[in-house]
Amino acid sequence: MKALTSRLVQAVVVAVLIGTATFVMMRSLPGDAAWRIAAGRYGYDNVDAAAAEAVRSELGLDGPALPALLQWLGDLLTLDFGTSLVSGQPVMHEIAHQLGASAALAGIALLLSVLIGPPLGILAGLRPGGVLDRCLLVVSTGLKAVPQFLLALILIVLLAVQLRLLPAAGHGEARHFILPSLTLALGLAAVNARIARDAMARIADMPFWRFAEWKGLSRREVLMRHGLRNVSVPLLTYLGLQFVTLVEGVVVIEAIFGWPGIGHALVHAIFSRDVPMVQGTALVLGLGFVLVNTCIDLIVRRIDPRGETEARA
Amino acid sequence: MSFLTATDITVRDGAQTLLEPLSLTVTPGEPLIILGETGSGKSLMAQAIMGTLPAGLRAQGEVRIGAHTLSASEPRRFRGLWGREISVLPQEPWLSLDPLMRAGTQVTEAHRLVRGLSAADAKARASSDLGQLGLTAAARHYPHQLSGGMAQRVAIAAARAGGAGIVIADEPTKGLDAARRDDVADLLLSEMGDNGGLLVITHDLALARRMGGQMIVLRQGKVVETGATETVMSAAREAYTRALLAADPESWTRRAPSRRDGPPVVDVHGLSVARGGRELFSGVGFDVAAGGVFGITGPSGCGKSTLGDAVLGLVAPAAGTVTRRADIGPHGFQKLYQDPVAAFPRKRRLGETLNDVARMTGESARVAPLLEQLGLSPTLLERRPGAVSGGELQRLSILRALLRRPALIFADEPTSRLDPITQARVIGMLGEIAMTEGTAILLVSHDAALVRNTADAVLPLGKTVLPEPQPDAASVATAPH
Repeated sequence: MKALTSRLVQAVVVAVLIGTATFVMMRSLPGDAAWRIAAGRYGYDNVDAAAAEAVRSELGLDGPALPALLQWLGDLLTLDFGTSLVSGQPVMHEIAHQLGASAALAGIALLLSVLIGPPLGILAGLRPGGVLDRCLLVVSTGLKAVPQFLLALILIVLLAVQLRLLPAAGHGEARHFILPSLTLALGLAAVNARIARDAMARIADMPFWRFAEWKGLSRREVLMRHGLRNVSVPLLTYLGLQFVTLVEGVVVIEAIFGWPGIGHALVHAIFSRDVPMVQGTALVLGLGFVLVNTCIDLIVRRIDPRGETEARA
Repeated sequence: MSFLTATDITVRDGAQTLLEPLSLTVTPGEPLIILGETGSGKSLMAQAIMGTLPAGLRAQGEVRIGAHTLSASEPRRFRGLWGREISVLPQEPWLSLDPLMRAGTQVTEAHRLVRGLSAADAKARASSDLGQLGLTAAARHYPHQLSGGMAQRVAIAAARAGGAGIVIADEPTKGLDAARRDDVADLLLSEMGDNGGLLVITHDLALARRMGGQMIVLRQGKVVETGATETVMSAAREAYTRALLAADPESWTRRAPSRRDGPPVVDVHGLSVARGGRELFSGVGFDVAAGGVFGITGPSGCGKSTLGDAVLGLVAPAAGTVTRRADIGPHGFQKLYQDPVAAFPRKRRLGETLNDVARMTGESARVAPLLEQLGLSPTLLERRPGAVSGGELQRLSILRALLRRPALIFADEPTSRLDPITQARVIGMLGEIAMTEGTAILLVSHDAALVRNTADAVLPLGKTVLPEPQPDAASVATAPH
């Protein structure tokens, strides 16, 4: 309960900080915001000084910054995210529309990474220093060292351009999911495999692992009954933190594969100085991070009751 | 009928023989005690007959367990017998239970998966097992909610649930106080019953005495003496066995009380200390004079180490005062840690570590005479902590503390990781240092006999401790209330 309250406070702090920071950063970007917004509305070719002036006076861009920020924070209290400066649609509506596409991509990427990383990590951790362990170290370090945009380009060149197995970009069909989610998943799996490997190696070295074997349980039973549960605690905690990597990845990957999600929208909103959109998007992502970690806290607490009792004592 | 027979078991590390041919027989209803110091090969022997030797070590010999005959050189084949024929009671029961699984489930799973009972039967058996050990309520608890003694009993129930007739207990009393040690001995004997086999590996003489049965005394991988435990312990034939028995704190001669003069080094009044919201002790008062040895004893968790830390000023008191003599600087109060290996940087040579301290204090000239006084070879300084025995390392940490010319050394369980002969030596040296250097010693130990026979005055802490006779009538110790 106490943890939930502190998470709630955290969510409020995150909201205020993100809102303020994005606002300040958007205001301090070089270039004329009115021109950019007008370009976003009418297209670059149709913008002239008159259109920019019209936008400027309509949105009050010359006005002082502080009232604008306070206005936004005040609206936030009533759950009003404002309207997009470009499309004129409510921000909430736009985000809800794009979030689905992003969540589907992120969800599939996460699922894929959990299917690739932890099983390999656990197998490697059962025999530290073995062939699999050493190979995994090399592969995961290599994958982690490659930036995601590069990995995406490599996969596109290899699978889409050379072998012509998959579409290089697009959205709408199941096969469009494969390349972007695989790119994201490989980056995530590279790290969560290491986490699983280290946790497994540590647990297999603990006296209770030995004791479970001495009780007469088979290797498989020891792993299933005593290994997985213990590995899952550090792994889940880490997956919560990986949400940041995932969001970061989604922004880059959506831009590369033309995926109509929240990351794609964020990049466009920044280009066209659509401040309410940027604020809203960053806010949803930030609060998403708090929400994901709260859920993970609750799950971990259910698996591992130790922390709870200590807090009570 | 004998349960377990091992014939000519040897353990080798490459060309080096760690355990010379050893044969033993465990008969039902009679415990077999393997007694030896650290490094005597007693644990290797147990690992060889369990098939759990660390990689790189090779065992040979024949092991017969029930109807099975196995070769110790094929450790893989032993796995099938674990839990079914032979089981191990681990050294640290708390760490041997899965922290994320309820105690009852850890017993049930062995009944179900090893013995092959149905889920309902296994559950019923587990709760009756735990009930017999007085743990009915503990079945729903997680290991961290159990006391050390409860964890030990859960581990015994779990180890035996698979139906194994033979139990190997490897140092079952490691780190336990006297009262808990006797509980464990009684529990092991009653669990063995008339038909079970029990092999106990220990360096704990009090445990061996209480268990009785047969005994094998090991030293450096060789059998020194065998016979009935009672006979060996009352009339040992070999000089080594006699030395080992004499090292038992119970049979030490009491150290002559030291002269107490001058103002006390520390003066403690009405001291209370709380940890995590729980009061450990309250109203504790005593003083320690220069050259005096003050002992604190009590069961684990009673706060005796915390009391020592409070004396050093490392822990803030909840109430009361600790007055350290004003003319002594903070470095005049030194601490000797329980685990000497952890008290030295692992990757530096011991000489480098000691030289750092000597250079800082300008006492480089004292290193050599102190080495001699503490019976240490100068060649040890070339080594790293891992390559030196625990006893030598603990003496080196005494040396390191002495380089500071301390007014008081707080020795926190300084010998709990050492074997009896080394323990007697190290404690003897602490007494000598109090005498020759005039250093006050604050000795904390769970071993009441050790403290009683070493200290000028003893403060028993904790409720379960029997009142110790105060050896010094003039002692100013006041028991906590």
